[in-house]
Amino acid sequence: MRYITVEDLAFYYDKEPVLEHIDYHLDSGEFVTLTGENGAAKTTLIKASLGILSPKVGKVTLSKTNIRGKKLRIAYLPQQIASFNAGFPSTVYEFVKSGRYPRKGWFRRLNAHDEEHIKASLESVGMWEHRHSRIGALSGGQKQRAVIARMFASDPDIFILDEPTTGMDAGTKEDFYKLMHHNAHQHKKAVLMITHDPDEVKKYADRNIHLVRNQDSPWRCFNIHERKEEDSHAESI
Amino acid sequence: MLNLFEYDFMQRAFLAVIAMSLFSPILGTFLILRRQSLMSDTLSHVSLSGVAFGLVLGISPTLSTMVVVVVAAIFLEYLRTIYKDFMEIGTAILMSTGLALALIVMSKGGSSSSMSLDQYLFGSIVTISSEQVISLFVIASIVLVLTFLFIRPMYILTFDEDTAFVDGLPVRSMSILFNIVTGLAIALMIPAAGALLVSTIMVLPASIALRIGKNFRSVIFIANVIGFLGMVAGLYISYYAETPASASITLIFVGVFLLVNLLNKLRK
Repeated sequence: MRYITVEDLAFYYDKEPVLEHIDYHLDSGEFVTLTGENGAAKTTLIKASLGILSPKVGKVTLSKTNIRGKKLRIAYLPQQIASFNAGFPSTVYEFVKSGRYPRKGWFRRLNAHDEEHIKASLESVGMWEHRHSRIGALSGGQKQRAVIARMFASDPDIFILDEPTTGMDAGTKEDFYKLMHHNAHQHKKAVLMITHDPDEVKKYADRNIHLVRNQDSPWRCFNIHERKEEDSHAESI
Repeated sequence: MLNLFEYDFMQRAFLAVIAMSLFSPILGTFLILRRQSLMSDTLSHVSLSGVAFGLVLGISPTLSTMVVVVVAAIFLEYLRTIYKDFMEIGTAILMSTGLALALIVMSKGGSSSSMSLDQYLFGSIVTISSEQVISLFVIASIVLVLTFLFIRPMYILTFDEDTAFVDGLPVRSMSILFNIVTGLAIALMIPAAGALLVSTIMVLPASIALRIGKNFRSVIFIANVIGFLGMVAGLYISYYAETPASASITLIFVGVFLLVNLLNKLRK
């Protein structure tokens, strides 16, 4: 099922185009990586796709429902989200729990099932024992894992991830890619992930969208070159 | 010296500080977390132009202040979105505009109004009227009900606005509503606390609570308790020491702030 469709999108900062003629889509059950050199407007493309930024040209269509006909839920992991204000007064548990509110309803009481889901999310990233810590007191890697746990707690249909593995060691990164692959292939979630290490994630991803500079444009402007991962092991994992 | 509760004006003053302690630390906590702690200062300055308009036009200064401050609060949200990377620009622009407008309007208004403007600058809690006390309890009820209802959305909004947007929250409307409520609260507090001290009373209890509380709700609760104790103690001391009430309250908060920071340092 098609969750995100972007047609002929262009984005301008002031009058200079940074993205032009962007067409791409994201379906349920696929793990797609988004790559491009520094300054290739990858984050801008993601934000425009989510409606955080409004493109002047082009059309973005977000499905209203998921594959089960329920309201589509999106989790977005912004770049450097883990460098949040260290003084923010919240325990890890409270923070991860907040990921449950959009799915459950902002005004409804969480039940035992929700609590179990929160616990499982914390355990999946090894943060259960840190649940009573203040988020500002965590190390960089722990903060990143807390943010990822919040994302899992929200049980979204689409994961939009902006360099989520920053600060992770090689083993943890590998586990994370496997987990995303599992979510896409076993639970029919859609994953769109910005990465600087396409080779590292290659065997888990189904497709790569690469932003390339448009040499004909007088501006430093990008459009899409897409490739299917030829040597992807995705199906067999 | 008579017992301070034997005076009607002191009873009203105590009721006023109790009402303010119910809502100003809550708004202050959100302001600090949204990195808008200067907003209360800005709106206080803007409110001076509202007072000036009211005095010159011969209408209730409270009413004119409320109108001006609400307009400014909405404009501030607009400035915050266009200067997203330099949020403090909006507050700086509005602060100067407010003071400039107040001075110009007052200069055209004749000498009698300057006395009233002084009152609004430094506050005069002992001259507060019953109607003003009631209006403070009304805004306290509004803030408490809104906080109770929207504490979860406000948690995310103050944490990260992009995350709040993707979580489906109406970020823009919530920010504007928050600014309006804050603006109204400030406009109503000014006759009691004075424009110069509103900011301190809103921000200091919250800053202290942020050093003590571990989670979101406990910070808000602690800020309220500190706000209540500090304001009541400040009023008491000001009565017996014959010092200005709002300055006494502020110095108590500053003292507690220093003490808490010192204890935190010693504990480490």
